[in-house]
Amino acid sequence: MKKTLTFTCMTVLTVLLTSCNNDATQNSGMSLIKKSDPDPIILDEKTEEKNKLVSSIKKNVAKFEELYDVAVIKGEEEILVAYKVKHMQRFHMVKIEQKINKMLEEKYPKENFIVSSDYKIFLEAVELNDKMKNPDYSKKDAKKKLNEIIKLKKELT
Amino acid sequence: MKVGSKKPESKEVEQYKQFEKNFETKRPVFKNCLKAFLVGGFICTIGQAITYFYIYFFNFTEQTAGNPTVATMVFIAMLLTGFGVYDRLGQFAGAGSAVPVTGFGNAVISAAIEHRTEGFVLGVGGNLFKLAGSVVLFGVFSAFVVALIKTILIKLGAI
Repeated sequence: MKKTLTFTCMTVLTVLLTSCNNDATQNSGMSLIKKSDPDPIILDEKTEEKNKLVSSIKKNVAKFEELYDVAVIKGEEEILVAYKVKHMQRFHMVKIEQKINKMLEEKYPKENFIVSSDYKIFLEAVELNDKMKNPDYSKKDAKKKLNEIIKLKKELT
Repeated sequence: MKVGSKKPESKEVEQYKQFEKNFETKRPVFKNCLKAFLVGGFICTIGQAITYFYIYFFNFTEQTAGNPTVATMVFIAMLLTGFGVYDRLGQFAGAGSAVPVTGFGNAVISAAIEHRTEGFVLGVGGNLFKLAGSVVLFGVFSAFVVALIKTILIKLGAI
């Protein structure tokens, strides 16, 4: 009885852990536990000005001592800023988000930001970054993925 | 005589109590607390691992992963109660296994098993929430009170 139970538990765990890993890439997988520091991405037309803008956003957000990893994705209308908070600072998540929102609004009043400290949003942002490195991955797919991430961010239940 | 007033204990009773105390085994409070802390912490670690599992493999965010995690933990505790494993864990860890949400699953299933012989409707159905009913009642009531306070504070502009 005991052996059967142990065997069943092990089989279920193995199946669950191996079969579901379909499209997560290696880099994005590790970003849940390690610092990945992804480059900022621009999904609409790339210009020097936009490059500077996303780099400066990433630099300014990374200046916050409470954070240790920042991902920035610029879509057509919105800019997604995802970050990971240091473990002991997670008690002050709401205050940190308020501070970042205030800083972004003051420095970039024309831009529309979506800010998130959620691991899932960060994970998806890194995954999109990895996929963008593949030349076969189209911009249309990337924009669709960004919309999915934004939808996920707004989901509450 | 006033209702509720106690009779003064006779000397013999006091003597007996003193005598009894000498033979009573001492409760290892610190050891029990340590066991409860470790086992409770271990259960919560499993819960955290399941949360990460839902975040990593499914479309759940940190905010939404809590619901399936609770459901999974309760389901696992129910299975373990059925297999007779959770009772032993409860004997060893005490509050460490009863306070986390898994204790709720254990309370529901152990009541169902106990009253199985009385039939499915009046036995299992009638007694399923005998122990867990109070958890549901006070959970809902306290959620209502907290929601009420939050609504009032929002209306007043304090939050």
